[in-house]
Amino acid sequence: MNLSFAGCGFLGIYHVGVACCFRKYAPHLLLNKISGASAGAMAACCLLLDLPLGETTSDVLRVATEARKKSLGPFNPSFNIHQLLLEGLERFLPDDAHIRVSGKLHISLTRVRDGKNVIVSQFDSREELIQALLASAFIPVFSGLFPPKFKGVRYMDGGYSDNLPTLDEHTITVSPFCGESDICPRDDSSQLFHINIANTSIELSKHNIYRMVRILFPPPPETLANMCKQGFDDALRFLHKNNLINCTKCLAVQSTFVVSDTLEENLIYDPQCTDCKIHRQEALVSNVPDTVLNVFQEVIESANKGVSNWLFKHRGMKLLSVLSLPYTLPADIMYATFTKLHLLKPVVPQLKRRLVSHNATSFQLLTSIGNQFETFSFDYKPCQALLPHNRNACIKDPSLSVHERFMATAPQVGNALWDVSKVVLDQMSNVLTRVNRKRQQISAKITCQLAITEYSGGKEPPVDDLVENKVNLNFTLDLDDCDLPLEQSPERKFNTRQILQRKPSFTINKSDTMDDDTFDHILQVTSHHEAIMAYYYLDENNKVKVTEIFDVTEDESPLLQTPCEKDVNTNLEFDDSWTDYNQVGELAQDDLHSEYSLEDLLDSDKNVFSDPESEWVGTCKVEEPEDDLRYSSNDARPESDRVTLKNEDNTKEKLLIHSRDFEYKNC
Amino acid sequence: MLEVANKEETEVEKNKQCSSWLSPSWLTWNKYSEGMLRTLEKRILQIVKTPYRGCFVDIGPVVGPADKIWTLSFNTNSQRTPLVLVQGLGAGVALWCLNIDALAATRPVYAFDLLGFGRSSRPDFDSDAVDAEKQMVRSIEEWRKEMNLNEFILLGHSLGGFLAASYSISYPNRVKHLILSDPWGFPEKPSESVQPVPLWVKTLSYMMQPFNPLAGVRAAGPFGPWFINTLRPDISKKYSNALMEYSADDLIPRYIYQCNSQYPSGESAFHTMMSNFGWAKNPIVRRIDRLDKRIPITLLYGSRSWIDHSAEDIIKLKRSDSYFKLQVINGAGHHLYADKPEAFNQIVNDACAFTDADQRNLAIMPPPDGSDESDAPESEKSLT
Repeated sequence: MNLSFAGCGFLGIYHVGVACCFRKYAPHLLLNKISGASAGAMAACCLLLDLPLGETTSDVLRVATEARKKSLGPFNPSFNIHQLLLEGLERFLPDDAHIRVSGKLHISLTRVRDGKNVIVSQFDSREELIQALLASAFIPVFSGLFPPKFKGVRYMDGGYSDNLPTLDEHTITVSPFCGESDICPRDDSSQLFHINIANTSIELSKHNIYRMVRILFPPPPETLANMCKQGFDDALRFLHKNNLINCTKCLAVQSTFVVSDTLEENLIYDPQCTDCKIHRQEALVSNVPDTVLNVFQEVIESANKGVSNWLFKHRGMKLLSVLSLPYTLPADIMYATFTKLHLLKPVVPQLKRRLVSHNATSFQLLTSIGNQFETFSFDYKPCQALLPHNRNACIKDPSLSVHERFMATAPQVGNALWDVSKVVLDQMSNVLTRVNRKRQQISAKITCQLAITEYSGGKEPPVDDLVENKVNLNFTLDLDDCDLPLEQSPERKFNTRQILQRKPSFTINKSDTMDDDTFDHILQVTSHHEAIMAYYYLDENNKVKVTEIFDVTEDESPLLQTPCEKDVNTNLEFDDSWTDYNQVGELAQDDLHSEYSLEDLLDSDKNVFSDPESEWVGTCKVEEPEDDLRYSSNDARPESDRVTLKNEDNTKEKLLIHSRDFEYKNC
Repeated sequence: MLEVANKEETEVEKNKQCSSWLSPSWLTWNKYSEGMLRTLEKRILQIVKTPYRGCFVDIGPVVGPADKIWTLSFNTNSQRTPLVLVQGLGAGVALWCLNIDALAATRPVYAFDLLGFGRSSRPDFDSDAVDAEKQMVRSIEEWRKEMNLNEFILLGHSLGGFLAASYSISYPNRVKHLILSDPWGFPEKPSESVQPVPLWVKTLSYMMQPFNPLAGVRAAGPFGPWFINTLRPDISKKYSNALMEYSADDLIPRYIYQCNSQYPSGESAFHTMMSNFGWAKNPIVRRIDRLDKRIPITLLYGSRSWIDHSAEDIIKLKRSDSYFKLQVINGAGHHLYADKPEAFNQIVNDACAFTDADQRNLAIMPPPDGSDESDAPESEKSLT
């Protein structure tokens, strides 16, 4: 089965939600061809390259907030969507992107010459891939005047000819508009009429009219978050309806089936697999992954805080800003013209990059207006060698006094400073990732994260913070390959105990009652207890993932359970008056062998929920500031391995979730 | 190859709209012409192999002074329970062209343009939702009397599904099996929309409310067919395989334009039956329990259709003790009869066969098997 994503401008956030769901519950569908136009093509590319969803979300949101900032929204002359997209793609696409997507990614383009639809799927270089993606999202006049070239021919947005390219009969179509697509929102309307624009069916409903306008005018971040969630829910509903949700074990079977044919005989796909059923039930109550939700949370918060935002939220202020448009617009256009002139010199940003990358210590501040360039450099000598042209330009125009020159460049200085600092940061992170990558090649790397959150019982006087103690452990240990069983065949189960008995380096973000030997204790627990659930599987990137869930409710140790809690636990076992909520809690512990109807699960929106891969939480969750810190502190890991377990108040279940991620390269 | 020879029209309006020298046809904005509609219909029906007979059935003064319903009949010699097709909003009989051959192979098939649509006459319906619906249903009943059909299998698509259900409630003895294809107007309008809509969208939709749904097509005048093909290129695409040599891109939009460019009385009736944005004022859910328990129901819908699929739950809930079969056609949209004609025909034929078998089991009527098996091929043989 192939996938097809509709082009939809800023509604592309819907595709992010769909992508989250697919990656989580149906990764076997992502091994085939994926097609798309404009925003859909970018979503398809991200899915095929397995780019981190959290970062791509924040990039989409960055563009959206950028567009919302200005008067006239994205039609403001200084808003350059083309440039913003280019920056995003340059940043996210890996060097071998074109090799990995060639033959799989199908981008729908419209040839400018005759308006015919062209679908491209072969990319010879990374630049070509970027060009194709940009061309597919190029709306004339809105994005710029001249459509970009791909292999010497000018193309524009695929949405003009075929917005939802279908490769064959069995293509799953994804569209953010309610209509005749497989995955699309289902508005509660009974309207008989729909229109079909460039192969995308759009029902004539109120919601679709709203969405149509939001293609080019991005909605506020709250609405974007809702759209993302909607995409996730719709995709989930589709997968559930078509019985495409399988458990990870079965998925592993299917992936290995694709990767190597030798493993077939001893791995049998069982359609009645209980794990599948469990997984499906869990899927019904799941939500958009935390990493993506956090991004939304941040953006929404930043959009709402501050006096000016509060002020501009009021209708009166909005009216005022609309009324003042005739006065502010000329100024904006003036400013935009100057910045555009600045951008017309493509040499400038490239030079900046080169300077910083070649000599990290030299700090260049480069500003320009029109034809004039000014160079401030702290490390003068290397710049002189690299910038002869610019220096000439400066010298050529001696008529301006230093003061005048400064005044003229004043509005640009801030921008340039900002640009330079961005470049520096980019380079830093580039260097860091490069270093990381090198290390991975020489040794196996184990990233482990433990999240233990305990909440106090109801007997204590109410306190503001119900969290009794919360420990987030992150540790990374690098092991030499010689004493690890990594040389052995990948399908072999790892002896996790053996690995964990090493003394690793770890950090504790917050710890109230636990001390250092808590960690030792956890190790002990994990080695003495059998896991409730343990998944060992190898994914297509030669990555063995191990997820274990340990039940520590019965554990006698005073470290993991206070005597008081133990009492409550034993009482609860004989307590008949369990609330609905506790039942759900028990459910999570009992491997989700549910005897309660699904409606129960769906109705109670604050359910404790633990998933084999366990980064999914219920809709009601407690946001801890530490979470953000934690996420930012370890970017190197794939986000699917981040673990959170959020227990609500009063539950005495403690599930210790253990997710380890073994990455190894055959060396 | 073509069996137009068998076709006869009882009433052929030879004199077209009088195009006097005062208002020549090229000056009028609306490009409707009776002759053009007839020709287009004939050309689309060229792909139907089964011989057919088209006639205006005079049903007398039902809504207007003298109403006529344009009817196509196929394979009328067969003795099996006939199948009656009721089309949806804005469509005409010719759009069944992909299904007729398969359906008419074993039994008589009748397809007609609803009163106020297609080539049927266009009287003004009542302005009350319930009354307009009653008038529609009565026109179907009068048509049945004229056609001398005792009982039949009723298949309704979209708006036709709504009317078919309503007809079955009013005249349960006539309907042997009710087949609903993505029917409209089953659920109650939800009290409050879950997703809030901004004010300007509400204003816009409020402003659109007084207009008939297809007013834009008529307003487009000579650009009507182009307008239809731009907004709904998928319709022509559905037929392009079958209509290859006749260029569906041209025929289908022109046919739809001609069907809808006359005085829109049927559309107005639909408009009165509908409350804002597509919900039925008097939905079937309120009355489905009054439908005879013995009538079996087959419900079909396309997996991609955006129409509310709660009809399924409604029927299951309210008619738990009668026969009900749900069939979802994968990959089909709202127009499932054209999206996946093979699957659609198969399901409908199975449903019809079920009714035949049911009759035999109940021994209500001795099965006239021997005669009708030989009937269908014979009639075809004589003509080809």
